[in-house]
Amino acid sequence: MAAIGSAVGLGNVWRFPYVTYQNGGGAFLIPFFVALFTAGIPLMILEFSVGHWARSAPPKAFKKIGKKHEWVGWFSVLMPFAVATYYVVIMSWCFSYMVFSLNLRWGAQANIFFNTFLGNTGAPAEFGGLSIPILLGLVAIWFTVFIILYKGVKRIGRIVALTVPIPTILLIILTIRGLTLPGAMEGISYYLTPNFSALLNVNVWLAAYAQVFFSLGVAQGIMITYASFLKKKSDITNNAFIVSLADAGTSFLAGFAVFSVVGYLAAAQGVGIPALGSQLAGPHLTFVTYPTAISLLPFAAAFFGFIFFVALLTFGIDSAFSMIEPAADSIHAKWKMSKAKATAIMCLAGFLLSVFFCFGNGLQLVEIVNGIVADFGLVIIGLAECLILGWMYKIRKFRDHANETSEIKIGRWWDILIKYVIPIVLVVILIMAIVNNVINNPFPGIPSWMIVVAGIVPLILMLVLSRILAKMKGKGDDFE
Amino acid sequence: MSGLSPSAIAMLIFGAVVLYGGLAYFVYRAFKRRD
Repeated sequence: MAAIGSAVGLGNVWRFPYVTYQNGGGAFLIPFFVALFTAGIPLMILEFSVGHWARSAPPKAFKKIGKKHEWVGWFSVLMPFAVATYYVVIMSWCFSYMVFSLNLRWGAQANIFFNTFLGNTGAPAEFGGLSIPILLGLVAIWFTVFIILYKGVKRIGRIVALTVPIPTILLIILTIRGLTLPGAMEGISYYLTPNFSALLNVNVWLAAYAQVFFSLGVAQGIMITYASFLKKKSDITNNAFIVSLADAGTSFLAGFAVFSVVGYLAAAQGVGIPALGSQLAGPHLTFVTYPTAISLLPFAAAFFGFIFFVALLTFGIDSAFSMIEPAADSIHAKWKMSKAKATAIMCLAGFLLSVFFCFGNGLQLVEIVNGIVADFGLVIIGLAECLILGWMYKIRKFRDHANETSEIKIGRWWDILIKYVIPIVLVVILIMAIVNNVINNPFPGIPSWMIVVAGIVPLILMLVLSRILAKMKGKGDDFE
Repeated sequence: MSGLSPSAIAMLIFGAVVLYGGLAYFVYRAFKRRD
């Protein structure tokens, strides 16, 4: 349940529907399912198997595989921590908008997001003023994350029993409401009508693999950490299928909630859906397009606006704490520090770093860190996992371990996917990321030095820090 | 669903069967194993 909560997050709502629409509509489901079954689920089985076998967080798990590999474990727990520093900021925006929804404070056009709410300076290098509402939201969310995590895994279990079903139910309510609006079918038609010629485009297949890879929460140390808490007899393969299909199923459902409302908005404004373009994804979809549509609802607009942002917050909270747990658990294990102290250190450090995103250029900083640190870092970890576990270690050992506890037995095809198919796909995604995020400069107007300072330097620092943490002497006898 | 083309309806059914059918199947297996 916790792994489902971790995998399902804001990206399911604001990324998958748009990626589907952009890459062949319903036809995108074909490469998406191919990517899910040839990369997403096999990687999930691998991480569950490693965590379950090592019974520890990634640094110790990788050290068990080979002393020189411990840094990969540290890098894989630092990466979600880095993502959490801006993910929590986006949740803070949702928190403010949840309050705004009570009286639809964003108005009829909802354009207040960029200028009034974020206080966007217009110049990415200028920090501008600190946003107090965003800062207060940060305090509330980081404190919540600390309260959930500091007592350990039992409390996480109790929390996810609420935070996994609640947003799903709310999403179903929003979908039903959306489908009953005029113009909804036009929106769904854009979402689902297949363009099979798109399947001949290699970029569509890469988009499918990237979507699966980034959505499932693999290569972030999270699944290894959560799997270390599983009972010895837990069915690894079955769990991997459940988590992956629940994540993909939520994304598919979110497409109906988003595109039904987008269809309604387009009909109400008398514009075509293609004219909305990039307004159908990311923060623009969440904080401008969707609220604008909510304002146009004939009745109970505030109610539906409120449950939309509550759904996002509850989708986000279990992803947020799952990003902190691996690092806190690793520190706790290596230095025999109390779980509460380790969690407090990570939450405090996370909060202080999050403050950087509370200024007028916060949105641009989020885009840079997400585009450089997260995109590159996750692919590097995925590659390192496949190379170390597939080539330098006996991958067969993890297959046997998964098969020992699982009813569905995986065969040699899985070894081939881990050793050859997934690394090749990840190398191509890495090359595409270099082309898209460095050569093509996707951050227009943002000076190069800022991309280096906010994107490339933190990535290198995390690599260096991973090596240092791995070299440091721990207190635990089994860590030495 | 009257506004949807047959191909869109086909993709809807395809997606729902694979994702929700698959999810129901593996959840069923998990509960069966627990019993």
